[in-house]
Amino acid sequence: MDQESKESTDRSSLVSDDGKNSKSVLCQRCGSKVLCPGTAVLAEKELFLPSMRKKSGLSSTEASVDGDTLSAHWFVDDMYTFENVGFTKDVGRIKYLICADCEIGPIGWHCLDDKKSFYIALDRVNHA
Amino acid sequence: MDPRYDIPRRAAGGGGGGSANSSPALGAQSRRRKMPPRPADFKLQIIIIGSRGVGKTSLMERFTDDTFCEACKSTVGVDFKIKTVELRGKKIRLQICLTVTHRGKGRDYLAGSTVTLHCQERFNSITSAYYRGAKGIVLVYDITKQETFEDLPKWMKMIDKYASEEAELLLVGNKLDCETDRIISRQQGERFASRISGMRFCEASAKDNFNVDEIFLKLVDDILSKVRLNVPEIHFTQCIHCLVHFGSL
Repeated sequence: MDQESKESTDRSSLVSDDGKNSKSVLCQRCGSKVLCPGTAVLAEKELFLPSMRKKSGLSSTEASVDGDTLSAHWFVDDMYTFENVGFTKDVGRIKYLICADCEIGPIGWHCLDDKKSFYIALDRVNHA
Repeated sequence: MDPRYDIPRRAAGGGGGGSANSSPALGAQSRRRKMPPRPADFKLQIIIIGSRGVGKTSLMERFTDDTFCEACKSTVGVDFKIKTVELRGKKIRLQICLTVTHRGKGRDYLAGSTVTLHCQERFNSITSAYYRGAKGIVLVYDITKQETFEDLPKWMKMIDKYASEEAELLLVGNKLDCETDRIISRQQGERFASRISGMRFCEASAKDNFNVDEIFLKLVDDILSKVRLNVPEIHFTQCIHCLVHFGSL
């Protein structure tokens, strides 16, 4: 099974019939619960998220930011929908979402220009 | 004479042993059988105000190396968090705001006459607004720094001046993990709190983060005890101010 069809198979197990997350969304590192089942909707949106891992050899003066353009996200329209999540300070017009307990991230994205949109990248979290 | 101090509140006896207890609410949450998720019953706002550098990181921020790659790290910090706790059978969603204050010379007060020399105008206006809405106030000192304890009366003056008479007060001696560097004894903290009607006391360690949850749970519990819980779906937003003062850098 090639990578793409494997991913779509995995993904279908995460989404219920109404398009919502069938499983809890958890932090990859510490297991902190980010979202309860059935609280977010699968959304396709191309978003750039800086890398979660510390890059060695990258000095603080380095201009470029390593990261990924991710397209599959859990979407909520109200930040009080989250069980536990942290928000970074503003980076331009963006706040990144991080784990509330261990602060690893970014696991998600929020633009200040759209107060009712919060995205959690599927690839940056676990599901259980 | 501040009438608040004369108002009898709940017995302060339970305050001393707080930090030694395991957190029943958190433990129960992990042992609980799988239940269908339900939305939060209450939403509460918690605000942490304090000087950067000495103790701010100790209460809420545990900025780990893995949080961001090195290039981003210097530009990014934690702004606020949403956390969910269960208390008294209710699910409480907390918005915990970390507002970083100015860095001034000598002692960093957020409020008070000294601060006006150092801080920008907007911090003053933010401060009084935060105090005004507070239903709970956590006043924190550092058990390894004498001056942070000696400054408590000044913080109490701010509370007297700006905060509601009904605000729940919790005194926290922080940095329990630095027992070897302890200067302020537990008894001193207990004694200070006992002199203020209704003020509870506990000691905490930010390092293991376990007691941090304790602090908020205690405070939220006190606030909830005053609320009529039989009224469904109250979405009140009440500011709980956590005043963090850690003296000079």
